[in-house]
Amino acid sequence: MHTPRALKAAGLVLAAVVLGLLTVQGTYALWNSAVNSNAGTVQAADFRVSLTDGPTNTTTDMTVNGLPATVALSTTPIGVVIPGQSVYAGVQLGNVTNAGGDFKIRATAGTPGITDSSGSGFASVLSVKAVAADTLAQCQSAALYAGAKNMASVDIAKNMTGVLCFQVTLDASAPGRLQGKSAGISIPLTVDQL
Amino acid sequence: MNKMAKGAIATGVGVILLVGGGGTLATWNQAQTAAMGSVVSGDLNLEVNTATNIGKWTNAAGTVVDIKAYRVVPGDVLTYTQDLKVTLTGDLMAAKLAVTGTGANTSFLDKNVVVAPTTIKDGVKAIAADDVLTPSVNGHVVTASTTFTFKSSTDARDSAATKAYEFAGVGYKLVQQAPPAANAS
Repeated sequence: MHTPRALKAAGLVLAAVVLGLLTVQGTYALWNSAVNSNAGTVQAADFRVSLTDGPTNTTTDMTVNGLPATVALSTTPIGVVIPGQSVYAGVQLGNVTNAGGDFKIRATAGTPGITDSSGSGFASVLSVKAVAADTLAQCQSAALYAGAKNMASVDIAKNMTGVLCFQVTLDASAPGRLQGKSAGISIPLTVDQL
Repeated sequence: MNKMAKGAIATGVGVILLVGGGGTLATWNQAQTAAMGSVVSGDLNLEVNTATNIGKWTNAAGTVVDIKAYRVVPGDVLTYTQDLKVTLTGDLMAAKLAVTGTGANTSFLDKNVVVAPTTIKDGVKAIAADDVLTPSVNGHVVTASTTFTFKSSTDARDSAATKAYEFAGVGYKLVQQAPPAANAS
């Protein structure tokens, strides 16, 4: 009888499978029992801090796409600063996290960097004080800055907010040649998990 | 004599011969029961002991957490515990209890997390993967424990936030060990 090749091949495969099963079936001869742990998945929280400028109520994340964000703070009052007087600014930091447990952070305003925009020396007659507060509205209170230094920090619990206020003062002895000059003030903010 | 009659006679003779054969019952005989009893199989089983601990995650504060909703932060230490009931009966029963599916399946960086190997304890006594269990532990409830640590030294948010560590593949297997004579069968 003529047997097609395909049929022969199928028979060969079948025989191999049967032989293979017969060879390994010994491993099934002993009992075993298994259970799954159903432990699920552990997921990391996000580490988000929001920054809100006082007067404009503009909010941005502290980092955007992994890069530090910059928030421009508005001063109060808006306008020129007179020797011996101060203007105020503040930023509200929000501990926006989805952490499952406690997640407290400490926001720190570092040493301000004051730079002249035209090399006038205006920066040398400006000073900055920083202080923690509960609300942005408190930033305009001169009494708040009594004894304050140029750096400050505030601890913020999970899903809560904290405020850092800044007082920028033009020295009363600022010379008249500095009229109309401007300077840039940069304050680094860092946030650490506690 | 027709064929029908011949057949009937032959059948009758055969029946008579069979009856005659019954004469062998006339000789003595005696019977005894073997008293072999019954062969009863043992048992091997491993199951989650739902009565005591179906499986739960706790954080460092000892608070039970819902792992589906919980998000870990650096410094978090989570521990998963689960009670397992061992059934082992049979005079020659021997088995090993092992943890399976422990291969890491994670998007965390290795430097940021530590997952301690799952341990199994019978009371205070640790059960190693090579330990041969016998029916002496039949009915015991053992506790499996796995600890996940999100290192406090984790500093780079971008490489550590919103990562996941998958434990769904982790399981436990109780495997019978061949009795000494099993190779002969």
